[in-house]
Amino acid sequence: MSEKQTTTITKLQRLKRDRWLYLLLVPGILYFLIFKYAPMWGIVIAFQDYSPFKGVFGSEWVGFENFIDFFQNPDFFRLLRNTFILAVLDLVFFFPAPIILSLLLNELRINSYKRTVQTFIYVPHFMSWVIIASITYIFFTTSGGVMNEIVSYFYGKEINFLSSPEWFRPLIMGQIIWKETGWGTVIFLAALASVDQEQYEAAIVDGAGRFRRLWHVTLPAVRSTIVVLLILRLGNFLDTGFQQIFLMSNSLNRSVADVFDTYVYFVGITQGAYSYSTAVGLFKSVVGIILVLGANKLAKKLGQEGIF
Amino acid sequence: MGKSKKELSKKIVLPLLSTMLLSSSLVACSNSEKTSKESGKSESNNTISIMTTAYSPEPPGEDSPVFKELEKFMETDIKVNWVLNSSYSDKLNITLASGELPDIMMIPSKIPSFISAVEDGAFWELGPYLKDYPNLSQANEITLNNSSIGGKIYGIYRSRPLGRNGITFRKDWLENVGLKTPKTIDDFYNVLKAFTENDPDGNGKDDTYGMVVSKYTGPWDIMQTWFGAPNKWGEDADGNLQPDFMTEEYLNALKFFKKLYDEGLINEDFAVMDPLKWGDPLLNGQAGVIVDVVDRAHRAEEDMIAANPNLKEPIDVIGAVEGPTGLHNLPTSGYSGMLAIPKSSVKTEEELKKVLAFIDKLSEAEAQTLAYNGLEGRHYELKDGNLVELTENDEALINEFTDLNQFQTGIPENRFIQAEQTPLLEKEEIVKTENEEIVVPNPAEALVSEVYAQKGQQLDNIINDAKIKFIVGQIDEAGFKDAIELWRSTGGDDYIDEINQLYKEVN
Repeated sequence: MSEKQTTTITKLQRLKRDRWLYLLLVPGILYFLIFKYAPMWGIVIAFQDYSPFKGVFGSEWVGFENFIDFFQNPDFFRLLRNTFILAVLDLVFFFPAPIILSLLLNELRINSYKRTVQTFIYVPHFMSWVIIASITYIFFTTSGGVMNEIVSYFYGKEINFLSSPEWFRPLIMGQIIWKETGWGTVIFLAALASVDQEQYEAAIVDGAGRFRRLWHVTLPAVRSTIVVLLILRLGNFLDTGFQQIFLMSNSLNRSVADVFDTYVYFVGITQGAYSYSTAVGLFKSVVGIILVLGANKLAKKLGQEGIF
Repeated sequence: MGKSKKELSKKIVLPLLSTMLLSSSLVACSNSEKTSKESGKSESNNTISIMTTAYSPEPPGEDSPVFKELEKFMETDIKVNWVLNSSYSDKLNITLASGELPDIMMIPSKIPSFISAVEDGAFWELGPYLKDYPNLSQANEITLNNSSIGGKIYGIYRSRPLGRNGITFRKDWLENVGLKTPKTIDDFYNVLKAFTENDPDGNGKDDTYGMVVSKYTGPWDIMQTWFGAPNKWGEDADGNLQPDFMTEEYLNALKFFKKLYDEGLINEDFAVMDPLKWGDPLLNGQAGVIVDVVDRAHRAEEDMIAANPNLKEPIDVIGAVEGPTGLHNLPTSGYSGMLAIPKSSVKTEEELKKVLAFIDKLSEAEAQTLAYNGLEGRHYELKDGNLVELTENDEALINEFTDLNQFQTGIPENRFIQAEQTPLLEKEEIVKTENEEIVVPNPAEALVSEVYAQKGQQLDNIINDAKIKFIVGQIDEAGFKDAIELWRSTGGDDYIDEINQLYKEVN
């Protein structure tokens, strides 16, 4: 009797039954509506000749003119190239770093030691880019920087790390890896913690060594986490971050340091071309969403779980 | 029954509480927004809101006795939004974009976003009103013209001396290496060379160099005028304006800078050096020369003597050194920022007149003294008519009034109590006066170009980057010419045409 009742329960009844749960959902929905979706309509200024003093309703509509201007701009390909290279380097060098680190941490036996290490590697994440840029400057400057002292000892002369275009990208990658790798392990370690211990035991019985266990038990267990995070990362593919690049760029390396994010700042904020820079930002988001949808589809085709 | 009631209340109370909390916090938010908006308006009572720079991380708050005294004298409730100088232009641009503006807004220079706001009619044109006010009516015509946008005044300038640039150097080092105060560019070069190679501090180590330069391009701009290069724009043979970097003199200056760099007479890392650290090598005895505003001289001397009381008058200052075409120096524009009045916050002409009267009254001796000297008996006292400061390194005391001068115009003159003149301070004054004879004016200073407002940042970057690259040897003369070509094709040619057209209209 009671079983039959629950199976025939209607949607409305279920809604009524879980009403308090749904009520708890309301603040979250409101948050997204007010702070995430409402500001989104500001995108319309990408299609206007916007002036803050005339407002969205008073400004003139110009259609796709801002986008056309942007794509025809001689800067466009340089910006695209710089941004793209940094984004690819980020995927190749930074994305795997937390995975490797968490796999290494996972192999540690002494728990107290493991936890201490974990805590310590989180620390750089909480430093601001300003601090990290200053530290980099102190380390790599040619007037008495530690790195350059070492370099000149072995190599015979100093290298202008901070102002040569060819050293810009390695420095940027080094900074990101130094700052964020420890923090990035959080999710992977959580995923690793949920791996069934019996599988290891079974693998040991089957005679699997350390590396075999890592390869056949641990990695498959976190594969879906890796794929999901990769897809989410692609959504921000063209986001190189403004602060870090801005702080590290100077007259001598600007040819490789100019990216969409710094360009939006210079054109939008310092020159007051709000519509134009919104168009640039929108372009970035569109590229991001295409990459996410594409990667998600690909992941599903390859038999992985996507994000939706 | 009792139990189920209890359970029910538990079920209800928690979510109810959380929603109530949330809604009340939302209400609180909107409330505070309202009040801040109201206080931003001036008509409700005698309140004037100001946005300006602060150099101190702790500018005077409303509880500062000096601030209260100033409010009493001005008969106005003053609300200041202090923004640290280092982040001011960012904050300013964001505020301009938001459209929520204070009654008085300090604009650091004629930046593109301000110009486009002016073109959108966001600010009052103040020119016609100035004559009605006893102090403002005495504003300097040249500086007014410099600060104008196409001859129209949209902001009241904060007055600064025109001839403010000069060379600050180690006087004691100069004696140690047996040289005299430099007169020509060659002398100047010899001084830098001796400061680098002849152990000027006499410690037997090779640990000094000639001149310290930072990322900030000011020193290069000053030095290139010594070579006869124009100040931003100069007339060519046909009487048309051309940008300074297209002249022969400019290139000569560039070659000189490159020589200084190649021979190690300036710091190698200048292109990446934070301007905030610029003064350090001078203060701690690594570098002997700095080319900047002349006020740097006494500030450096005070800091050096504070750190090492054995030093006796270590610093000297001069205006410029003579080049192939005589003595030249780069002027300032005669102002450092201006006070603009937005139409969105000051809505009627009547309100505008009130705000202008406020700015005018700030120039009275009482207001200036409060802003620059503080309170008598607390921050300073007068002994035989001379100023004696009582703030001796007491940060808390200094912070009670420092930065209050950031909304002072100094029109028509400084009326606060001046410190007793040390020999160096007196010399600075002389240098400033002498400079006025030799400064190179920028003929296009008052002209406002549409192209520059749109592309100025990119255009400036092209040339500045090329200049730095040339100095450090990343590009050669041909590379610099390429950069000029790039500048021209990026909009520079339109910029030149526009400036020349505007120039002809004015002259």
